[in-house]
Amino acid sequence: MMQRRLNHVASIAAILFGAAIANAQDMPLSQVLIEGEGWQRVSSGHAFTDGCAADAYGNFYFSDVARGESILKVSMDGKVSTFVPKAPKISAMQFGPDGRLYACQVGKFARIVAFDREGRASVIANDVKPNDLVVTHEGEIYFTETSKQQVTHIPKGGEPRSAATGVSKPNGIALTPGQGTLVVSDYGGRNGWVWRIENDGSLTHQQPYITLRTPGKNMSSKADGTTTDAAGRYYITSAVGLQMFDPTGRMGGVIHTPQPAKPLVSVAFAGPDLSYLYVANGDSIYRRKTKTRGVLYFQEPK
Amino acid sequence: MNAIECCRPIWHRQIAVVLFGCLMTALSNHPGQAEEYQLRSDSKPQEGVPVGEVTKYRWTESKVYPGTERDYWVYVPAQYDSAKPACVMVFQDGGGYVSLKGHSRVPTVFDNLIHQGEMPVTIGIFINPGVVPPTRPGSKGRRNRSFEYDSLGDQYARFLLDEIIPEVGKNYNLVDKAEGRAICGISSGGICAFTAAWERPDAFSKVVSYVGSFTNIRGGHVYPALIRKTERKPIRVFLQDGVNDLDNLHGHWPLSNRQMAAALKFAGYDYRFEMGDGGHNGRHGGAILPEMLRWTWRDYPGIKARSDDKENK
Repeated sequence: MMQRRLNHVASIAAILFGAAIANAQDMPLSQVLIEGEGWQRVSSGHAFTDGCAADAYGNFYFSDVARGESILKVSMDGKVSTFVPKAPKISAMQFGPDGRLYACQVGKFARIVAFDREGRASVIANDVKPNDLVVTHEGEIYFTETSKQQVTHIPKGGEPRSAATGVSKPNGIALTPGQGTLVVSDYGGRNGWVWRIENDGSLTHQQPYITLRTPGKNMSSKADGTTTDAAGRYYITSAVGLQMFDPTGRMGGVIHTPQPAKPLVSVAFAGPDLSYLYVANGDSIYRRKTKTRGVLYFQEPK
Repeated sequence: MNAIECCRPIWHRQIAVVLFGCLMTALSNHPGQAEEYQLRSDSKPQEGVPVGEVTKYRWTESKVYPGTERDYWVYVPAQYDSAKPACVMVFQDGGGYVSLKGHSRVPTVFDNLIHQGEMPVTIGIFINPGVVPPTRPGSKGRRNRSFEYDSLGDQYARFLLDEIIPEVGKNYNLVDKAEGRAICGISSGGICAFTAAWERPDAFSKVVSYVGSFTNIRGGHVYPALIRKTERKPIRVFLQDGVNDLDNLHGHWPLSNRQMAAALKFAGYDYRFEMGDGGHNGRHGGAILPEMLRWTWRDYPGIKARSDDKENK
């Protein structure tokens, strides 16, 4: 453990570090939100929107997990169309590096499926209780099984295996832009949990890195959909709004919920330059322009 | 220029005058850093003063912060005698404090003050915040500084008491009583120092904070309220801040430090508050570190009170 002996000599790095520590970059909401650019309704009349996702062009995808029969697509011109018909009970979606749309199909389906460009479904894993998922640029799948209090990993082409436990209600799931860290929101608690992703895909060094605002003392955060942006900020939907944190886990601020009386459950960056935040908020999808841009996890990290 | 507020009433008008004065000074010099704080003789090597030894280590086996790695340095004064337990002073962001070109140059200050008998024989432990290194090259590690320093609770104190201090104690005879243990830090490291003593006053009795982040980074803004409604703890606190310190999304540093000082005063703490005109850096704290250390250690057994130090009681 002992590295070397110094006699009153400290490294240049230490000096620079000492000078620089104090001013770790602050990330207020004003770095992201644009004055005068509020939430705009994109689609409404659904029962329970969810499953926010984006493709490489910035097209946006969502589902109606309660009553919907199909996966819907919002193209760049704002037009809403059916992307995959006959795909009910979808609670989460993410494109994979193979171009397929991976999805959690809940209820009686209890499976992970992947839809190809023609909308044909392949079953990736059966007999699971998925809630939300993420697919890495290498095709590794991680998903939350909220009722099992488990984060599950499907190695590329392999079988599901438990990767992490110890979170009360693991729900939203995302990656840092470099894909070295996995983050999971705890719907039942007040933390965003992080792990290091090892070379074999296993998850280590779990930590409650993020502390969420809750509606009151000892109340659950209802933390749900989770994503990150290109600067490494974290965005987590919750009972009190869309909570934003800087890359070191410090809260940057809370973005208000378009319809506060309805649940805010899913979030993604999509649209031109991936610069719009999209959220699923009860019966509707909303979006707003930002000064930042999202990350597509199926793409090689920059 | 310094508004020393120690154990006397704080009048709004006085503050206004001081703030206005600082503002004028700031405008007449250069913004944000009105006064150039200078290191004085106690922070510089002196002829005939024995020089302690600094050794660098790396800690990679943390169980309190799993997966983290960090450098730390141990300063051992020339006067150290393994037959007698040495006092301990811990520094967060240790690399900045141990550097002989940094804001504080703690090893040199310790050399001088220990030689002069103004602080006890003290082993300095200078610890950097942890990083969880990335698995793959090119990927970013997890920076753990905010989690370790800004979080309230006893986790950091446990890290010191269960891991680092016992590790250093394998090689050196250390005092295990709180009276002989101090802790210091800057910014988030400052609130971290306070948190460690607040949680474990049985382990740390002396706190020195430079531009402490008693703001809402991770809830630390509640301390003034907690201090006022908690039975006084046996800890001594020296707070340094500057009127040009940060005002950002987490809070307003000068106001927060004033709130801390007012709460410590209300609750009857042994404290000092030094409000200068600096910004969010270690220059002012570094310049007055010798004075802060003298005050901190002033009544430790064997310490000589300085006749020219009016603050000594």
